Amino acid sequence: MAAHLSYGRVNLNVLREAVRRELREFLDKCAGSKAIVWDEYLTGPFGLIAQYSLLKEHEVEKMFTLKGSRLPTADVKNIIFFVRPRLELMDIIAENVLSEDRRGPARDFHILFVPRRSLLCEQRLKDLGVLGSFIHREEYSLDLIPFDGDLLSMESEGAFKECYLESDQTSLYHAAKGLMTLQALYGTIPQIFGKGECARQVANMMIRMKREFTGSQNSIFPVFDNLLLLDRNVDLLTPLATQLTYEGLIDEIYGIQNTSEDFFDKLTVEQEFMSGIDTDKVNSYIEDCIAQKHPLIKVLRLVCLQSVCNSGLKQKVLDYYKREILQTYGYEHILTLYNLEKAGLLKPQMGGRNNYPTIRKTLRLWMDDVNEQNPTDISYVYSGYAPLSVRLAQLLSRPGWRSIEEVLRILPGPHFEERQPLPTGLQKKRQPGENRVTLIFFLGGVTFAEIAALRFLSQLEDGGTEYVIATTKLMNGASWIESLMEKPF
Amino acid sequence: MDCYTANWNPLGDSAFYRKYELYSMDWDLKEELRDCLVAAAPYGGPIALLRNPWRKEKVASIRPVLEIYSASGLPLASLLWKSGPVVSLGWSAEEELLCVQEDGVVLVYGLHGDFRRHFSMGNEVLQNRVLDARIFHTEFGSGVAILTGAHRFTLSANVGDLKLRRMPEVPGLQSAPSCWTTLCQDRVAHILLAVGPDLYLLDHAACSAVTPPGLAPGVSSFLQMAVSFTYRHLALFTDTGYIWMGTASLKEKLCEFNCNIRAPPKQMVWCSRPRSKERAVVVAWERRLMVVGDAPESIQFVLDEDSYLVPELDGVRIFSCSTHEFLHEVPVASEEIFKIASMAPGALLLEAQKEYEKESQKADEYLREIQELGQLTQAVQQCIEAAGHEHRPDMQKSLLRAASFGKCFLDRFPPDSFVRMCQDLRVLNAIRDYHIGIPLTYSQYKQLTIQVLLDRLVLRRLYPLAIQICEYLRLPEVQGVSRILAHWACYKVQQKDVSDEDVARAINQKLGDTPGVSYSDIAARAYGCGRTELAIKLLEYEPRSGEQVPLLLKMKRSKLALSKAIESGDTDLVFTVLLHLKNELNRGDFFMTLRNQPMALSLYRQFCKHQELETLKDLYNQDDNHQELGSFHIRASYAAEERIEGRVAALQMAADAFYKAKNEFAAKATEDQMRLLRLQRRLEDELGGHFVDLSLHDTVTTLVLGGHSKRAEQLARDFRIPDKRLWWLKLTALADLEDWEELEKFSKSKKSPIGYLPFVEICMKQHNKYEAKKYASRVGPEQKVKALLLVGDVAQAADVAIEHRNEAELTLVLSHCTGTADAATADKIQRARAQAQKK
Repeated sequence: MAAHLSYGRVNLNVLREAVRRELREFLDKCAGSKAIVWDEYLTGPFGLIAQYSLLKEHEVEKMFTLKGSRLPTADVKNIIFFVRPRLELMDIIAENVLSEDRRGPARDFHILFVPRRSLLCEQRLKDLGVLGSFIHREEYSLDLIPFDGDLLSMESEGAFKECYLESDQTSLYHAAKGLMTLQALYGTIPQIFGKGECARQVANMMIRMKREFTGSQNSIFPVFDNLLLLDRNVDLLTPLATQLTYEGLIDEIYGIQNTSEDFFDKLTVEQEFMSGIDTDKVNSYIEDCIAQKHPLIKVLRLVCLQSVCNSGLKQKVLDYYKREILQTYGYEHILTLYNLEKAGLLKPQMGGRNNYPTIRKTLRLWMDDVNEQNPTDISYVYSGYAPLSVRLAQLLSRPGWRSIEEVLRILPGPHFEERQPLPTGLQKKRQPGENRVTLIFFLGGVTFAEIAALRFLSQLEDGGTEYVIATTKLMNGASWIESLMEKPF
Repeated sequence: MDCYTANWNPLGDSAFYRKYELYSMDWDLKEELRDCLVAAAPYGGPIALLRNPWRKEKVASIRPVLEIYSASGLPLASLLWKSGPVVSLGWSAEEELLCVQEDGVVLVYGLHGDFRRHFSMGNEVLQNRVLDARIFHTEFGSGVAILTGAHRFTLSANVGDLKLRRMPEVPGLQSAPSCWTTLCQDRVAHILLAVGPDLYLLDHAACSAVTPPGLAPGVSSFLQMAVSFTYRHLALFTDTGYIWMGTASLKEKLCEFNCNIRAPPKQMVWCSRPRSKERAVVVAWERRLMVVGDAPESIQFVLDEDSYLVPELDGVRIFSCSTHEFLHEVPVASEEIFKIASMAPGALLLEAQKEYEKESQKADEYLREIQELGQLTQAVQQCIEAAGHEHRPDMQKSLLRAASFGKCFLDRFPPDSFVRMCQDLRVLNAIRDYHIGIPLTYSQYKQLTIQVLLDRLVLRRLYPLAIQICEYLRLPEVQGVSRILAHWACYKVQQKDVSDEDVARAINQKLGDTPGVSYSDIAARAYGCGRTELAIKLLEYEPRSGEQVPLLLKMKRSKLALSKAIESGDTDLVFTVLLHLKNELNRGDFFMTLRNQPMALSLYRQFCKHQELETLKDLYNQDDNHQELGSFHIRASYAAEERIEGRVAALQMAADAFYKAKNEFAAKATEDQMRLLRLQRRLEDELGGHFVDLSLHDTVTTLVLGGHSKRAEQLARDFRIPDKRLWWLKLTALADLEDWEELEKFSKSKKSPIGYLPFVEICMKQHNKYEAKKYASRVGPEQKVKALLLVGDVAQAADVAIEHRNEAELTLVLSHCTGTADAATADKIQRARAQAQKK
């Protein structure tokens, strides 16, 4: 039991226990002593659901990191590879297996694909002549990992990049699968809302998958009243701003050395941008940052923030920044800049129209009178700026999106509503005063400040809605920008 | 009920055997059974007859006829035998008919006479011909054992997974054994054979002579042997008319019997009931049937007709031209209740209920009697159990009524056993019906399981009955109705006279979205029958892309598979189809296909990025995606090429691509980079050190640091570095060098575009207060206070702040006033503030 997962409205321990059970069952299939060879990327997520003691109880005696050439020696009966379904990893596994065969006693090999088995990878193993060496080839659908009583993450680093830059919807498919698992455990979610292209796709996949599962009628009383799917690119602004909640600050400052004065200057600039001041010309603070060769990520974050707060930069301003960056940090960053443009974070203003003020005013994104001690509005998390994403959630719950149709049309991607019919026996009759539970899924990542804002809404006396948050990745502006950077050497 | 036990025959003191009719057969046989090869499947299965089997004197005009009947004698199939001579027939556990030909080929037919497949028992069998053959059943499946003309045995323990095993030779065997059988011990099939007075056991390694313990002397030959249904017991019939009964391991004798008939029996089979202590065998001669066991007397029946025995789990079925009967040991519960003058609780309860119906007070007396003994629960249980063993529905009803009556007087009798028995009997009565013809007993039904029974109904194409049973028993849809509908659909697709559209529509109408129905399985069946179009139509209804796509690929509908995979969102599936397509199509067609599927195209691009870089370039070229081509060449410029010329050439291609993409900025930046690269190369040659791949900014910095100011200036001019940034750059570099003289010179070269505060800051950063102070004085008024504070001149900072009358500055200075040294200054500020407030 993990106590921290069971305090919320929805007991996420149920999910944790379900995934742990699945893991135990797999381990027990490979009878005898075992060594696990890890795809390094997976150790973090696994650590959250199964400590070493659990593995040890199931006769895991050794753990290695997946590397080329030979496996380290280990006197065990089973060698199990825990890997993501990636071709390059299959090549390494094949190398391991082939060099193993030539020496020592025969051992049983197994593969556990996380989170999905892949025909493509199995074909590769077949081509490399080792597919037959594996006794168990199974999948472990570890999609959503419980982090906290109201927080789930897929910890998929590349999700945003894959979705928005490479049009690769693999992580969306996993997200949909994860949502199906959640529904299997917590009941069918009767209403699905969404905004954005990816949200639409995930909803489509869910509806499709539901058709595939018609066999097992879900008879669990629904815990969630609705699901809100949000594309990260509907709100590119929020992660760019510096988070000013406790957790957010720790997240932001960790690993970054800045003088406090500079930090203050940076905040001032951010706040100016977000409140719509001087977003259309070259900013001298950014200029100075570049001239002093401050960390590139910080510079990019500010430039992107300015671009987003101005619905794109004037071509001249944009080119100036780009040139400054290339000259100072190196030409190779032209690839990164292009990535940021593709993601819509950095772009020339189209048609010379700045939509941001309309969005800001309609959604009340900028609040001048913030009470940080006793907040009354979510804008406290950014000292004045109310995260757009959370505002959308708030407005959806009350009074509904119909009131903001115009702004929704300005924001990218379609907005939609789907209903998943429930058998009459499972339909909920809400008690007066009982809060609704909304599962909000951020496709492409969520920040701690957004989480704080949603928790604030959950705690409001008359809020009417409690939130459980799911995401492809817990992130901040820096890690986000970093994931979009490309270093050719 | 006086006459009820009329057909009960005692065997010894402890057991009764009864024989009752299952069906009267009107199968209208044209020949005597004795003229046919006969095979009847256990568990009330079908009966196969091969009329006019092959005879030595070949009469060409008379072809053998293979007929298949239900156990009730309804014809299921009839076909002219056109293959080779058949030696033996037998049914597999899946109710497939195995016909063993003389040449060792086994032909397999379905229940409806449909040919399924054939296999051979091997070359040795082919050469020596088949003398005799047996089909037997083990836990692994159904096996075939062959005795060849060379008096050798070959067997396969499971025809589903054919592995032929040639058994060891029996030393000195000159003629065929007088009788033989297959045994199954320790999960291995053996052969037991009799030659003269000797018995031999063949396992796969050796032949060993065996002797039954306690066998009466004087035996010179064994005429017949029989293994029980569960392979546990063995019976031997000798030429002295003596029957030995014991365990199949030949370790223990159970009993023996001397019937004094020396004529070889036609058939001998075991007749026992699971969990019963009684052991008996049934021996049949031409007109005589004898039940013998551990008793001095046997039970004898006269056979009016040519009859055939079928051993079952709990008895023996006996069929002839006109009837089909079941002979078994009367079960305990029935015996207790119906035995004459029985005082068993069940018997009393049955009486009580009858009296109750007659409205007689005797009911109360009986009931009291049972209750006084505290045996009412037992009575109810007995009646329920006995009902299960009754064949006649009226008897079942009367026993269940009695049980139900008794239940009324019990507080807590769990209802399940009663309910379940009612349900089971309802199912049993339905399938025993003449039209269905599966005469299962309750014990057989339980052993077989409802799942297998449903399979058998499906085999007989009795879909509606199967579905009714599922619905009646409320079986989960996936195991029940859905499965049956799926079977129905698989049958339906084989109806070649119906059009694809009609079949697909009919199937969808009936199946709809029924959970657990696999349209892809049905489609696979259709494809197997050569109906590809129908398969595709059926696959349209398949919601699981994971099932749909591989089958489409198998049917070579790759493009359709691709769009289905894309619809599913399962990228792995899309990849799988893509790689399939890549091998199937030529490159041009493949690219064209991709072009129409943007999602697949982007996935393939990702694949190429990691696996086939050159293909990636071709893809961009095809799509005139110059922007991406540009990026591609940039990456290439960093990747492989070591020499500057190569890198510059790659960049030139990138620049060209950017021009085509109308991305002026990127093109210019790329050209600048080409220039820079060449220049860096030159610098390395001329000055040594490392320049290549430094940014422009760092190149200039390196030059400044190396004391090449002139070159640095030149570079800055050539690449138009903005003044402000250049000042920052030089400032930082010179401070790093701690070249204070040069820094001061630089500061005076012209008016600083970045002001002088950065000078102060950077000197302080290098802990040079002396230098810092020089610049502090030059800092403009707006930042003066900040500068003075930086160099630690709090007093002067206070003065300036007071002069500026700037509250923010005053506060800032005040915050720097620490310790006694600054007390005066702090005072001064406070006074100035007070004064300001007065005004």
